[in-house]
Amino acid sequence: MTDALFWYGCNMTRHAEIIRLGTHMLEAVGVGAQPTGGPSACCGAPKESTPRIAEGMANRTMNSFNESGTKQVITWCPTCHMNLDDFMGATQGKQAESAHLAQALWQRRDALVPLLTQPVAGRVLIDMHIGNGTGVNEAVPGLLRLIPGVTVLDHPYRAPSYMCFGLASIPGALADAKASMLAAMEATGADTLVTIFHSCHRELVGLERTHGIRVVNWVHLLAEGMGLPYEDEYKAWRNSDDPEALIGAERIAAAGEEAVRKLVLPELMRPR
Amino acid sequence: MVVSASRSDVAPSASRNDVAPRYANWAELRAAESARMLAACTACGACFEACPMIAYVPAAQGASPGDTVRGVLALLQGGAGDAASRGWVAACTRSAVCIPACPEAVDPMLLLRLAKFTAQENGTIPPRDARDAMSRAKAFARLGFSETEQKEWL
Repeated sequence: MTDALFWYGCNMTRHAEIIRLGTHMLEAVGVGAQPTGGPSACCGAPKESTPRIAEGMANRTMNSFNESGTKQVITWCPTCHMNLDDFMGATQGKQAESAHLAQALWQRRDALVPLLTQPVAGRVLIDMHIGNGTGVNEAVPGLLRLIPGVTVLDHPYRAPSYMCFGLASIPGALADAKASMLAAMEATGADTLVTIFHSCHRELVGLERTHGIRVVNWVHLLAEGMGLPYEDEYKAWRNSDDPEALIGAERIAAAGEEAVRKLVLPELMRPR
Repeated sequence: MVVSASRSDVAPSASRNDVAPRYANWAELRAAESARMLAACTACGACFEACPMIAYVPAAQGASPGDTVRGVLALLQGGAGDAASRGWVAACTRSAVCIPACPEAVDPMLLLRLAKFTAQENGTIPPRDARDAMSRAKAFARLGFSETEQKEWL
């Protein structure tokens, strides 16, 4: 049994390096956490329009957590995090404590600070959203301020929703949020936009190509401060003119060519 | 009352572990919360006025806040609501600013979520097309995870 489960959610499969880095960081501050996620550990949210199916998925996941005997569930996805507390916890009982990864690291910052030895140049603005009870809006700025060389800028703008995913399906909402965030960057003199959640990263990395700014996730920046190498492949694919060539035929074949062509490449090649 | 973990005024601390479930299943939770909300809500419209997504709901432009909330309550009970309430429920992205705005502690964010459940179940609001969501997550995992990671993380 591990100390904790690092429940990364389902859509984080796009960002394997963040899962690896997050797990490494937890280990470095004394928390052995087993990553778990994907469709077999779903909170049910993707199927919420059919609550009966969502409930079955959520129950299966909560049962597996409880049966694992883990003491703590460390979350990443805010949707999973909220569902863990409301529908899942209210109907299945929750036998482990839970905290978001950013909270878990912030709570152990005394162990983290000595590891942040590498200066990172950046005047950063964080893509924050209004609706958030995961504690990230407090923890992430605190963590980034521990990195030598990083200047975390303050601006009052907060995008609607709790991450960009919800905005993407509402005509005009995501475009407005992007425009407001870019205006906030200009007003503060920021050169780097820091995303908090995976869906925000997915929606905003294209700004690196279209607007000449740097877009990184907060875990990436923390990794740079710790001297941990990583490669943000999703960003590279998304900003490439030919993601298929960049991924390479061998990897595509190994992942299943039909699935990659139908499900992956259209996402990578949609308008930025 | 369901814990609204997305409340913007919640302190950033680890969540408690509740061993005992408060409801037997989602249906019981939905029934209990719906009854509580229907009893508590006065349709004052403060939640509507606080919501940052109203600007993106064409049918809600100029709509009466109270009437729109009454439409949401109708959706919750399996009715058709009106265009403004259907549009609002569909556009809710859980910003949570409605929760502290509500003078009756209804938790309007949960109200809209439960109304959406019912409206999608009875066809009043088209369901989100999530047919490929899990397959897409798996495809990205096969691209980005090593074989060992696929075995141990999924």
